[in-house]
Amino acid sequence: MIPELLSALPLTLAITFVAIVAGFGLALITTTFRVRRVPVISQLADLYVSYARSVPVVLQLFVSFYGLPLLVILIGGDDFLTATIAAMVGLSFYHGGYLSEVMRPAYLAVDRGQHDAADSLGYTFRQKITRIVGPQAVHIALPGYGNSIIYLIHNVALVMYIGAADVMATAHLIMERDYNQYQFPTYLVLAVIYSILCLIAWLIIRAFEVRSPMYATKEAPVRAALMPSV
Amino acid sequence: MLDIHDLKLSYGNSKILNGVNLSVKRGDVVSIIGPSGTGKTTLLKCINYLAKPASGTITFDGIRMDYQRADKAAIQAIRLRTAMVFQQFNVFKNMTVIQNVMDPLVVVQRKSKEEAREIAARELERVGLSTKQDHYPSQLSGGQLQRTGIARALAVRPDVMLFDEPTSSLDPELVGEVLKVIKDVTSSGITSLLVTHEMQFAKNISNRIVFMDRGVVAADGSPSEIFDAPSNPRLAQFLSSEHTLQ
Ligand SMILES: Nc1ncnc2c1ncn2[C@@H]1O[C@H](COP(=O)(O)OP(=O)(O)O)[C@@H](O)[C@H]1O
Ligand SMILES: [Mg+2]
Repeated sequence: MIPELLSALPLTLAITFVAIVAGFGLALITTTFRVRRVPVISQLADLYVSYARSVPVVLQLFVSFYGLPLLVILIGGDDFLTATIAAMVGLSFYHGGYLSEVMRPAYLAVDRGQHDAADSLGYTFRQKITRIVGPQAVHIALPGYGNSIIYLIHNVALVMYIGAADVMATAHLIMERDYNQYQFPTYLVLAVIYSILCLIAWLIIRAFEVRSPMYATKEAPVRAALMPSV
Repeated sequence: MLDIHDLKLSYGNSKILNGVNLSVKRGDVVSIIGPSGTGKTTLLKCINYLAKPASGTITFDGIRMDYQRADKAAIQAIRLRTAMVFQQFNVFKNMTVIQNVMDPLVVVQRKSKEEAREIAARELERVGLSTKQDHYPSQLSGGQLQRTGIARALAVRPDVMLFDEPTSSLDPELVGEVLKVIKDVTSSGITSLLVTHEMQFAKNISNRIVFMDRGVVAADGSPSEIFDAPSNPRLAQFLSSEHTLQ
């Protein structure tokens, strides 16, 4: 059972990975337009974020699964879409919108005075963002970012509803084949797999948090505890 | 070298600056005093275009700008030749003390890291922070933060220093160390504008005092004209309410 479940893990991880990368890019673009108001584009960005945050993720997956083929045909392409691709696209959009609502408050939480100081010294907008405001916003955003990754991992379990063969879908296949004799142990193994995935994600985020210079305290310059209670 | 003419600025419906005129000569040390909320901070911010006036002009050496036609090149040129010290310090929180001082030199002035480090070390020595150069802002006292802010401003070699109530956010016992540094800076001959509530200090270091009241310059003169024989009744009232002068 376990090897079978694990054989589906690469797909779960691939979907997660694509959503993390694409979602990050989407969130960055969306957030940029939400903080630097540009007529029409900024409103569209707001609309997208409220879609991603208020529509149930299962529904977003269905929208992607049934909507993407229509879009592809509309622009005259062949329907090459599989459930996996629909899952990647759907979850990227979900994660990107959700993440933008982590990034925007983090950006706004950076003290106005930091902008003033950088502007008065002649930094360009780009220099100010990459050297001063961005790093501080990242530090503020990290805990929220960690949460968004964990929600994403949970929501990948929903891709079975559109027929993608992730660990969850595979678990159901196994259980049915075994006449539903081993449901509890199977779910238990699933729970362990998800816990480990989330723990790894959390540890990675935590390591970034602790490495951030803004973590420095009066007592211990920079190298505070890396492994507090989980 | 710096002329501000008929500067006007409103936030929403409240008029903050109602036609400020101010002219500063090279080498002047001008202290700006006045009640809270009269627009002293806003005036300093306008010079750097951190606040955006509705109208007025600024002339800075050869650079001339009408705020109704603000242009990026002029704003940048003025920003590069002035340096501001803030009431809330505004030291970059993600950088150590020396990085704070070096970064503008490397990023904006495109100096080499080595040269920037040399200049930064010298300025930090000048403000007495050599031993703290690798500390992060979260590890420093208010006085140390403000001295970092001053070193960062000095390092860019500005023609004009703009101090906005540099000691107002400090615990009383830390005010002295910062005033000492400011006195050292202003006595070195650099043109300075200083917004302050430290009346005695203003009197000691300035050759000119500007009294701002309700968004305009209400009195302007030598320290003795302003402090010893205030002609403006609002100024006299303000000074007696500050009662910091013996
Ligand atoms: N960004 C802003 N938005 C709205 N009102 C502001 C802003 N900045 C300052 N003000 C208001 O402008 C007035 C002048 O402020 P300021 O220039 O800081 O005064 P001062 O430095 O003389 O105490 C105050 O009433 C303040 O509340
Ligand atoms: Mg002020």
